[in-house]
This record gives sequence, structure tokens and C-alpha cells, in this order.
Amino acid sequence: MSQQVFRPEDAPMALDRTAGWAHFRNAGEVVQGEGAWFLTSADAVQYAHHHPELFSSARAFDMLGSPLPLIPLATDPPAHVRYRRVLDPMLAPRVINAMEDELRRQISELIDAFATSGSCDIMTDVAKLYPTQVFLTLFGMPLSDRDQFIRWVTTLNEGASLVGSEPNPEVLQAAGELFAYLQGFVAAKRADPGEDMLSRVLALSGDDEWTDEEVLGLCFLFTLAGLDTVTASIGFVMLHLARDAELRRRVVTDPSLVGPVIEEVLRLELPAPLNPRFTMEDVEVCGQRIPAGTIVQLSVGAANRDPLRFAHPDEIDLDQADRGHLSFGGGIHRCLGSHLARRELRLVVEEFHKRIPDYEMAPGAEPRVTWPAGTLHLQSLPLVFTPAAAR
Amino acid sequence: MKIAIDVSLCSGHGRCYALTPTLFVDDERGFGQVRGDGTVPPGLEADAERAVRSCPEHAVTITDA
Repeated sequence: MSQQVFRPEDAPMALDRTAGWAHFRNAGEVVQGEGAWFLTSADAVQYAHHHPELFSSARAFDMLGSPLPLIPLATDPPAHVRYRRVLDPMLAPRVINAMEDELRRQISELIDAFATSGSCDIMTDVAKLYPTQVFLTLFGMPLSDRDQFIRWVTTLNEGASLVGSEPNPEVLQAAGELFAYLQGFVAAKRADPGEDMLSRVLALSGDDEWTDEEVLGLCFLFTLAGLDTVTASIGFVMLHLARDAELRRRVVTDPSLVGPVIEEVLRLELPAPLNPRFTMEDVEVCGQRIPAGTIVQLSVGAANRDPLRFAHPDEIDLDQADRGHLSFGGGIHRCLGSHLARRELRLVVEEFHKRIPDYEMAPGAEPRVTWPAGTLHLQSLPLVFTPAAAR
Repeated sequence: MKIAIDVSLCSGHGRCYALTPTLFVDDERGFGQVRGDGTVPPGLEADAERAVRSCPEHAVTITDA
């Protein structure tokens, strides 16, 4: 059996996730850590995805101590089926197609704000702002609340860590304020519905009707899981393009490569690095027995670099970009916002390169992520470029 | 050649209709459906193989007609 306990916090993630995820892979495909087990191969992770009756999500998130049910993430069938039946159509590609012009207008405006200046920080000027605006747009909330929203969510996400700890007073205050804001907004939307997603959830009636607690849980999950993750991915896509002049040139010359670049970066750089489950009975995964009542962390970043699935597991290779990866999870809990996230990423890359085709990292910049953390994202990504002509 | 989606595995990643719209369409939930009865028109065999490769759940399969 294992000689020493696996320590995920020792993974060297800060500058290079290849080294970080190798720390997971090298420990084995099913490995015991302190307080949790880790699944690191694609087969092992998918086994858990496909057996929600053995690997509970509802129980896994108990440890977060959320005051609200995180719907639909932290639910199991049959409740989960009921939620997704309603929510999937609201975030289907055809719905997002109808929003695309407005979403493109918004990202263009954000990029125009710095395109003539010759420098920007992708994280603060684009990546933090845009996903929040998209969320506010989707839910019919005023864009003028953007910066307040970002402050709450940033405080909450920075307060969450890999290892459970007592929340500090700042986190509790931000959670309370966000909760009160959402509560007020739900009440206002009930009284005066619009065409937005939130109004459509509130309009459900009969057996499909949601309680206020369920609606607030959905809002809370969207703000916690849907903003920081897209922020992180925008940063990572731009990081790889900024570091690799040849890749950048290829994308600018041939826009059909935008999708493949995004897929490869999504595969390599996981915003949500570990997805927890809770074993409902003794389970056997890839020949290894895991006892009932255990937290199991699906280590998707490692699974996405499985050499059995990818010829060049640790590199961006556009020729393997059409191979399925697990960055949006899988099975019944496949990321509800995956279609929207992909669209946001595509719009950012397209509109940025229309205005700023050539750029590089600011001299001396060394973009890094914090680890351990609930979400892996760059703290800063400063770029310099020839100013675009004023539009 | 025919293609099929195993609905017990499909979880709506949507890669099949995004990458090979010649053979798949999206439904109102954003899940993929095969076009027609799944028969692969001559010349689209490479698309069928691509769809198999692109599905993260391994839900797309090729069968002999």
C-alpha cells in the first residue's frame, strides 16, 4: 500500500500546471490523501461521473456549509433530474445564439476601452468584468451593479480554500450582502418579471414551481461557480496566446482555429481543479477499494492529461483539439454553463484579435496562480502591444 | 455506415453538432441528435469518425448499416 500520504497542496501549480498535475498523476490513478481520495486518470474520473448513485454530489458539498442548496450542482437524482430538465433549455446553444449580438457588443466595448492605450491587464480589464456582465445580462440584473458584484464574489472565492477552514468575518459579511441583494432581486422579479432566465425560473408553476430557497440557491451557485471559472479560462487562453507567438499568428491568420485553441487550453488549464463526491457505499475504482463515507476528489486536470487519451498530453496540439476532454465534468453533472462559457471565450478571442493582433507579456511579468485554491486563476496578466487606431 | 448516440451516456456536451453539423443537430435542451436515421452519406465518413473522437462520454458510435 502507499508509503506516504498524498499531499495535493504540495503540487507545484503556481507557474506551471504541467508540473502541478504531474504531481497528481505520479501519485497513481486512485490515491489516498489526508481526508480525501483522489481520482487522477480519465477512466477513474469517468467511472465516478457515470455512477452518481455511488458518488453523491449532495453529500459532497455538505462540507462547504453553504446556507443554501447549491442547485443543481450539489443535488442527486431524482431532484437533480427535475432541476436540469428546466435549466438545460435555458442555457442551450440556441438560446445563447439569440444573445450573441449583445454579448459581442459588450466585449467589444470592454476591449475598446484600452485598445488605443498600448497596454492592459487581461485579468482586471477583461476577465473579471466580462463574465459578471454576461451573468447580469442573463439574469436581467442591471449592469451598473457589476463592480459591487465582483467585490462580493472575489471576497467569497478568496475565502474558499482546498482545505476547510473557519470563514473570516469579511467572507461572512460578503455572503450576507450578496444573499440580501439576490433576495431583493428575486422579490422584485416575482413582482415585475422580464424576459430573462431568472424570470423564467420564477414563472414555473404547479409541480415545477421552485421555492424561494431553491431560486436563491441557483443564483448563489451561478455567482460562485459561473463567474470565477470563466474569468480563469479567459486568462489562461490569453496567457497561452501571449506566450506563443506562432500560435497567436496562426489564430489571427485563420479564425477557424479559435475553437481548437480554446479547447486545448480548457483541457490543460482547469479553473475548477477538483470536483468532490461522497461515496455512498464501498466502491471499487480501477481495482482500488474506497470505503463508504469518503470524500473523493475528481482530479480533472490530471485526467485531461491522461496519456492513454492524448498523444501529446501536456502540450497544446491543435490536431488533437477535437478529442473530448473533461473540463466541463461529465455524466449528469456536466457543467450547465458549458455552452455559454465556450461562447464567451470565443467572443473574447475574436474581438481582442480584431483590434490587437500582436502583443506580448509585459516585461518581467510572471503570471502565477495561487495554490491550493478552490479556483485556479491567474492573479494578473499584463500585456503590451502597439496601440490600435482609435475606432 | 451508420452513427448513433447512446442516450444513456450522452450528457449534452454538444461537441457532436458543434464539430460535425453535417451529421448531428442540437435539440432544445442542447443535447445532440443524429440527422435522419443516422446513415452517413458517402464522403462524410471522416466526420463520423471525428464525432466519435469528440464525444467526452464516448456516447457516439459507428455501426455498419
